[in-house]
This record gives sequence, structure tokens and C-alpha cells, in this order.
Amino acid sequence: MASASDPHASAFSAAELEFLAEDETIEIVPNLKMDALNFISGDFGPFRPQIPAQAPLWLAVALKKRGKCTIRAPEWMSVVNLTQVLEAERDSDKFQPLPFHYVEISRLLIDHARDDIPDIYMVRSLVEDIKDVRFHKIGKGLESISAGGTFALKLKNLSAMEANIVRPFVTRALETFYKLGSSDMIQETDHAPNRQQTADRGPRRQLKDR
Amino acid sequence: MKIRTMKLREAHTAADDSVCSILWASDAGHIVTASSSDNAICIHDASAPSNAPRFLRNHSEGVTALALSPNSTCLASGSLDHSVKLYKFPGGDFETNITRFTLPIRAVAFNKSGTILAAAGDDEGIKLVNTIDGTIARVLKGHKGSVTSLAFDPKTEYLASLDSNGTVIYWELQSGSTLHVLKAIAPNNGSDVSVMNILAWNQDGDLLAVPGLKNNVVLYDRDTAEKLFSLSGDHSQPICFLSWSPNGKYIATSGLDKQILIWDVDKKQDIERQKFSECITCMAWKPEGNALAVIDAKGKYGVWESPVPSTMKSPTEDIPGFYSKNSNGLLLFDEEEPCASGNLSDLNEDSHGDFEPIRRKRSRKHSSYDDELEEDVNDELETVPKVETHKKAFYGHKENLSGKSGSRNMMITAGAKMQEAFQPGATPAQPGKRHFLCYNMLGSITTMEHEGYSHIEIDFHDTNSGPRVSAMTDYFGFTMASLNENGSVFANPCKGDKNMSTLMYRPFSSWANNSEWSMRFEGEEVRAIALGSGWVAAITNFNSLRIFTEGGLQRYILSLDGPVVTAAGYKDELAVVTHISPPLPTDEQILEFRVFNISHGSQPLRGRLPLTPGSKLTWFGFSEEGQLSSFDSKGILRVFTSQFGGTWLPLFSASKIKKSEENYWVAGLNASKLFCIVCKSPESFPQSTPKPVLTLLDLSFPLAASDLGADCLENEFMMNNMHLSRIQRSIEERADSGLDCTLLDDEAFTVETSLDRCILRLIASCCNSDKPVRATELVKLLSLEKSVRGAIKLVTALKLPNLAERFNNILEEKLLSEKKENIALPDSKSNCNGSIKPEVASTKFFTAEINRVSETAVASRVHTFPSTSNTRARNAEEPTKDRNGNIEESKSMTPGRTADLKATGKGNGVHNAGEATKATKVDQLSSSRPSNPFAKSSSNQGSSSLLDSLKKTKKTDVKGKV
Repeated sequence: MASASDPHASAFSAAELEFLAEDETIEIVPNLKMDALNFISGDFGPFRPQIPAQAPLWLAVALKKRGKCTIRAPEWMSVVNLTQVLEAERDSDKFQPLPFHYVEISRLLIDHARDDIPDIYMVRSLVEDIKDVRFHKIGKGLESISAGGTFALKLKNLSAMEANIVRPFVTRALETFYKLGSSDMIQETDHAPNRQQTADRGPRRQLKDR
Repeated sequence: MKIRTMKLREAHTAADDSVCSILWASDAGHIVTASSSDNAICIHDASAPSNAPRFLRNHSEGVTALALSPNSTCLASGSLDHSVKLYKFPGGDFETNITRFTLPIRAVAFNKSGTILAAAGDDEGIKLVNTIDGTIARVLKGHKGSVTSLAFDPKTEYLASLDSNGTVIYWELQSGSTLHVLKAIAPNNGSDVSVMNILAWNQDGDLLAVPGLKNNVVLYDRDTAEKLFSLSGDHSQPICFLSWSPNGKYIATSGLDKQILIWDVDKKQDIERQKFSECITCMAWKPEGNALAVIDAKGKYGVWESPVPSTMKSPTEDIPGFYSKNSNGLLLFDEEEPCASGNLSDLNEDSHGDFEPIRRKRSRKHSSYDDELEEDVNDELETVPKVETHKKAFYGHKENLSGKSGSRNMMITAGAKMQEAFQPGATPAQPGKRHFLCYNMLGSITTMEHEGYSHIEIDFHDTNSGPRVSAMTDYFGFTMASLNENGSVFANPCKGDKNMSTLMYRPFSSWANNSEWSMRFEGEEVRAIALGSGWVAAITNFNSLRIFTEGGLQRYILSLDGPVVTAAGYKDELAVVTHISPPLPTDEQILEFRVFNISHGSQPLRGRLPLTPGSKLTWFGFSEEGQLSSFDSKGILRVFTSQFGGTWLPLFSASKIKKSEENYWVAGLNASKLFCIVCKSPESFPQSTPKPVLTLLDLSFPLAASDLGADCLENEFMMNNMHLSRIQRSIEERADSGLDCTLLDDEAFTVETSLDRCILRLIASCCNSDKPVRATELVKLLSLEKSVRGAIKLVTALKLPNLAERFNNILEEKLLSEKKENIALPDSKSNCNGSIKPEVASTKFFTAEINRVSETAVASRVHTFPSTSNTRARNAEEPTKDRNGNIEESKSMTPGRTADLKATGKGNGVHNAGEATKATKVDQLSSSRPSNPFAKSSSNQGSSSLLDSLKKTKKTDVKGKV
């Protein structure tokens, strides 16, 4: 967990986000026979050789490392789809719908399942490009906060990694705007640190749940 | 004669005069144009000429000649770049460079069946190319100048050719010799290539039209090549193109004087003319209606509507004989043709095998499909480019085709030929690529030929438990293989005299080294192989079935009564499919299957193997449970069942679920799923790399669309019924052989409950769509009493009192009949399995202890009842002691109990008679009967619950006594 002492740091580190993303399911083609696995998050399997099955990403990666499965790249990771997304991302101000953990999933797959992703170099560069375009867009969008002085910001289809990066800044900025905007709040300056703490606690609890 | 102007639209840009060509597709939907100054071929949509045409830019220089195969599925083009190319039509996909010359091509022509393409040009020879495999059947040499026109006689006996010097040669196709040489009868154009001499047969083939020297058209006799008559008239300069109308009544001629004349051949008179601003280099009659497409030397084309005055017969009317209305080339068959072309194909040894049957087939097919073809020839045949047939025939794996176009194709090409032998799970050999020799649910055997020998790899899907097998180098050229847990078997056909057929077995693990073995067959050829537990089977071309043991001992040699199609093994069982007779003319393969049990030396099953008409067997094997299954090229899966004395159930139909032209390549199946590899059409089989992924498809009956609209439920209903009958059968089998069948009983119970659930839902949908009769039928099929009650509740809730009453009656009948059964049951089943023992013992106990009054006896039996008394505690001990004891005693006791039951039953009956309402009557009845007579361990539990219910009725008495 990011140190609570640094208020500007993200609520999660990238590694933690990756950990969360590992719970996403993905299709694998096992090459071994294995009975169904019963997890708290649900049942997976039974696994039969050469028959595609859904599995959590962490399991898929673990099996892949042992050479017991091939991972089928999700549909959105195809070159065709990513190219479309990139174009749309460039054309419009809105964020294109991508999986919430797309950065983490693509990273994990590119790291561990390079041989299972067709056109991996293309995919990687496309994902990078999309990421850059979106971050740039976020940066531009944040400028609008200072211009308008709003109290709330609606960012649809924002992914985990992106939200994580802008969260501390945006929440604090909005809070400040709110405080400045409402005269009653000016006195209650000591209220802010509390809020910061609760924001930190939330995710921690979530981690334990899993 | 009127003079009008025709508007032409530009298709090709040509600075100078160039030779342009134009063609109609046989369905009149497309016009094809080309120009010698443009490397593109344009396919125009005839109905919407303003649409942009499709361009085929495969040639590097101008296109001088075009020809469409008679069925319009294949387009050939010849070019100044010395090549002749084939395209699919109307798609325009480039197929192949069918032949090349050293000088520019000037003319191409298809024969009537589209199997031979003649091409010629400035080279000295005319090449006859086999379109099936691209081999050159013959080169005809004799012309001095460049050949500008070729015409196959419609009877396919002769080829007429004309060169730029004006010489016409009649060639006899059969021998390749020249029949007649007519020197300088046509205009001599010398080396001027912008003008082409042309000649054309009429549609009967008895007249050959050649431009004459006097600006006329001269017609020559077919056989004698004598000049018969000439058409002379208003042309002021030599004729450069002529075209017979589809019915042969008219000729259109175009001259260097830039006009077109239409001639009535019978009257030998010109009837119509049209002037143009440029010389027309090519014309084509529309295959239907009255129109002529023309293209001029500048590459502009147009359609001249009604060239024949409407007062006269249409140029496409009265197409004699077998000619269809739209003059489809495919239908243009002649009795003499197969013979002649057969002979021609003899010229070419390589193609001989494929060639002749195909041709013969075609002609037959077309006569029988005449009517239907007329309708669907346009859409259907065009999707079956002929060149595809060429490819497939080339690979020689017709049985692997499936899907609509594929099967259609097969019907045309392979036709009433007996299906060749195949191995289930093998894919055709592809040069330079790895292919499957065997793919099953266990693993795969792949091979790739490489410089004279092959490299074989065996992979198991399950890398954890499967044995590791090293790759091997194969010097035999194995084409067949089979794989199971213990080993693999390979075989190769004989190739010539030197290489004889070999069978090789390779175990995966053996305690002895060198347990690999091979057998060689002299003069005999292995056609199919199969592998089971401890045996290897090979079926040869002598129709003999040879069975070897795992160690290589020659165990049995049996004679089969037909050529083998395929074979499959599963544990002890070997299933062989053979031909019974040649296929029916309607293209139905007549196949027979038989199952041998190798270890018992018996033949438990034998019968006809059903196939969808017009299809072939593409996969054959056993399901994971050992059910015999077959899959045909129409995508129907059939599973053998013992119901109705042994029949095949169609359990899957690819056409029912087919989406976006997918083909299913079967790898295996289990009781409820089909495992297959999905191939995107037109691919009909998977490649070995990347490793194909299996897809699970639900088995389902090809049900008719019912008015109920609950297809899923109906399917579930039938599937459950099937499972149930299978389980019941295996229970019977096991019970017969004295084995424990509790597990199966459990399974049967689960299936029964799910079946009941399904029936209840069906009843609901029947009620909703107002089908009370069907609902009543369904209620009768319910097996659990609880479900019948549920059904009654359901119809009551749906406010259908009528039905509720009927259901009540059914329930009543059921209960009564079951009671009778139950009374009889204890005798027959008393020692069936363990669960009865405590009961029996306790029965014995109570009869021994408190045998006097039946009521008390029944009461004492209630040892599970909550309010247990001391006596009962004692009772409970007794039976445990006696549990393994005297069954005879218990048996002897049963009659007594039966009597008791009878008594109580009667008593209840009397009691019920007094009851007023029906519903309560039913309740009463059921309380006096087993609550769950069909439940798990049927009879025994039934009797115990029977006693339980008795216990309830007698509860008060018991309490009083105790």
C-alpha cells in the first residue's frame, strides 16, 4: 500500500492494481485434465485438455508458467479492435469502453503469454498508444476543472489505472473547490485529513475481502 | 432499315484501335469486357450498368481473349503477357495461371463441359489444357500464322481454329489430328493484330460460320467441311466478328465498315443493321431475351436491345432439345459427348482417374437435376467455382468437404462414386504443411513430408498424464494412423511395385524393449486401420479384416463382404463400415456397419448405416461412453441406440445451428456434447498449427418447428428420455450380470427428476398455448407422483379445472396400478440389494416377536418413528444382529406381509368409497401407498415407505398398544 504519509501518492500502487486485476476471468485452453476448482469467487472448470475454459487471470498465468495451458487473448486485444479503439479514442473526447483493468490485463498477458497473442508487437504498441491518448485526454480534461471550478467530475469508462492516477489530485482539487465555494466550510479545515484517511481505508478493506 | 445511334459507355481506355472482347455470363447477370490495350478485365453488373465494375488486374499487359466456362463459374483470360489465367466467376478471385506461352495469346475457348480449355496465339501450337489439374492434354500444331479464333464443336468432337492468314483447320479432338485444312478462305490480315478473324459453330454444331473473302459469311459443313452457302449483303468491308444467336436462327456480324448486321440464317438475309462510330470488335448475345452486347475498338461497350425485330422470333426462343431457356452451358450435353471427352482425357494419364467419372457424372446429374437447376443454377452453381473442383480433385479428398457449396460440389464432381476409405480424424495431405493423420479426444498424430520421408509427431492433449512419445521419421510414407492410450498404429498404401503396404504398431510403454512391430502385405493394400485395448485391426483391399494382438500375433483373419469405408475401435469393440453396393443414382451411399467384440469373438451388432441423401460419411467412431456414432458431410450426427431394436438417432444437425458458414469437424462426443473443431467456411478441416481448439456443441434432435414454441424444452424432453432409456438398459445389463447398480440407480433418479421438471415446464407451455390434449399426454409421462401433484397444482393455478380433474383421474389410475405392482414387488426383488436387509430383518423380527395381530406387526416395524418405545429399541438391535442372517426366513415372511398389505389396501379402498370429493380421495389413496415408488432403490424403498405410510394410518393404534 502506498504510504499514507504522502498525500499526493495514489491510493494503490501499480502492483496492487495488478493484483486486483488478476481476479478478472480469461479464457484458457488447458492441456491437462483437472477437476473443477471451487473458489470463493466462484467455481472454475472442470478443465479438459484442448477445451476452452474460463479461469481467473492469476490461475491462467500460473498454469501458463508451468506450460499447462495456452491463454486465449480476449477479443478486445485483437489488432483490429485495438486499432478501432485507438482511432475512436483519437477522434472523440469521450473514453472508449475498454475493460476496467485493460492496462493491467494487457501487461500481464504480454509479459507471460507472448506466444499466445497474435501480433504481439502490434498489440503492445497499440495498447501503449491508447494508454497515451487516454492519459493525455485526462490531462486535458483536468484543465477544465480549473477553468470551471466544478465540484464534481464525471469520467465515464475510466480504467482502474487511470482513475488511480488522477484520484488523489482530483478529489483533493474538487474538495478544495468545494471548500472555497461554500463559505461555511472555510472554518472547518481540520475536516479534510479525516476524509483522506477514510479514502485510504476503503481499499485496504477491499483487499482483505478477497 | 432504320439507322439509330447507340450510346456506348467506356469500359477501357484505348488510344489506338485495339481488340476488345465482351461476354455475357450464362445467367445474363454480368457482362465481362476486356481490351488488348488495358490489363484489366471488367465484370459489369448487367442490371445496373452505372455501378462501378469489378476490375481484375492480374495480367501485366493487355487482355486479348476471354472465355467463360459453360456454367459460368470460371473465367479464362489470355493476354499479351503470354499467360492464360483462370478466375472464379462472378467473384473474380484469381485462381491460377493455367498455362503460359512464349508469345502473346490471341484466343481461348472452353469446351462444352468446361473441362478443357483451348488457348492459342502467336505461338505455333494450340494448347488443350485440362482445367481439372492444369495439365496440357495436347498441343495441336499446324497453323502458320497466329491463331485468332478457336471454337469447340458443341458435340466436342472437333475443334475449329482460324489463323490470321485466313486458314481454317478442323481438328479431331480424339486423336489430335487435322481433319480438314481450308486454306485462305477467310480474309488475310497478315500480321495486323488489331483485326481478328473469327469463326463460330452454330449451337447444333452442324454449321461453321467463317468470314469470307467477299465481305460475306461463309457457312461450312460440320463433317465434310464443304462450303454450304454464304450470307452476303450490305457489308462493304471484311467481317471481323460474328456471333450466332443462342437458338442458332440468327447471326450477328460486325464489319470493318463499322456496322453490325443481323442475319436470318434460314432466309439467308440480313434483317437489321446498326451503325457505329468505331469498328465493333466483339459481340455477345444475351443468353435470355433479345439483346446484343457490343464493344468497339476504343473499349466502349453497350447493349443493343432488340436487335431482332419484335415481329420475328426471339433469338433465344426455341432453343432446341436439351437446351434450357437460358441456354445454360451446363445443360448443353450430348449423348456423344462423354465418350468423346472420355477419350480425350485418356490422352492425359495423370488426370485419367478423376476425369472420366466426373464427366460422366455431370451429364447424368444435369439431366436429372434439369428442372431444379434451372432455378438455382444462378445462385448455387456460381458459388461453386469449377476451379475449386479442380483443386479438390487434385488433393483427392472429396470426403472431407462439407457445407453447402462443398457438398454441392461433391455431387457434381464425385457423384455416384463409391466413397473412398478414410480414417476418422484425418485431414487431407497438403504439400509443405503438417496435417493430421489422426485426431481424437486423446491426442493427435501429425505428419509432414519432407524430401522423400515424413516426420511424424504424436501429441497428447493432456500433457500431464499422457505418455511422452518421441517424434519419428517415417520412411514408409504412412497415410493412415490411429491412436489410443497404449499405442499407435500406422499404415501406408502401396505405391507401385517396390513399396508395399506396411502396417506398423508402436506401443507407448512396454516392459520389453523392441515391442514395436510391423507387418508387410504383398499384393494387398491396407485401406483402414483401428486400434483397441490389446488388439490392432487392419482392413485391406481384399476385403479381409486382419486382427493382430498388441504383441504382433496374427490372431484372426476374417473376410468382409464389401469394400471398407472406415473402422474404429473402442476397448474390446471394433466397428467397421463397408459398402454394400454401389451408390444409388440419387447419390446415396449404401453402407453397412458391424461391431465385433474382439475378446469374445462375437458380432453383437450389424446393420445398415444411415446417411443423409447425397452425403458421405466423414467421421465414424465411439462416444466417450462407447456409443457408436457417425457424422456425415451434411453435418448430421447420428448415435446408435438400442431403442426400437437398434436404430440410429440424429442427435445433431449442423444446419440447425450453422452460423455464418461454419463447418464442424468432429473430434468426438460424449453423452450430451459434441466436441468439434469449428472451421470457417470454405475451410472444411483444421490445420495442425496452431493447435486447434475444440468447441463443445450441445447435442440436440433436429426437431420440427412446433406450434408450441418451446423447442428447447421439447429437445430437453427427448434428450432426457434418451438418457433414461440408456441408463435403464445399462441397469438391466448390470443386473443381469449380477453387478451392483446403485450408482446407476442414482443416475436414473436424477435424470427422472430432471425429466419431470422438463415435462412440467412443457405442460405449463402447453396450457399457455391452449393444448390441453398434449398436456394430458405429458402428465401421463410423469414418473414421480410428486410431479403429478405439481402438475395438478399448476393447472389449478392456471384456472383450468377441466384439466385438473383429468390429471386427478390420471393420478388415481397411476396410484392404483402402482399399488398392484408394489404388492407383487417384494417377492421378486427382496434380495436385490443391500438396502433391503434391515427392513427384511425387521420384518422377520416383528413377525417372529409379535406375530399375532397384523396391526401391531405393522406398528412394531416403525423403528424410525420419533416416539421410539423400549420394545422398539430392542427391535432395532435385533435386526442388526440378523442382518446378514437368514434371508430364507425373511423370504418366507414376505407372503405374510403381502397379505397384510392387501388387507390394508382393501380397507383403504372401502374407506375411500365413502369419501365425497375426488381430491381427498386421491390424497387418501396416496397416503396408503408408497410416496415415491420410483425413487432411488425403487422397490425396497417403496415398500419401506409403504410401511411408513401404513404406520401413519395406524399410528393411534400403535400408541394404544405400546
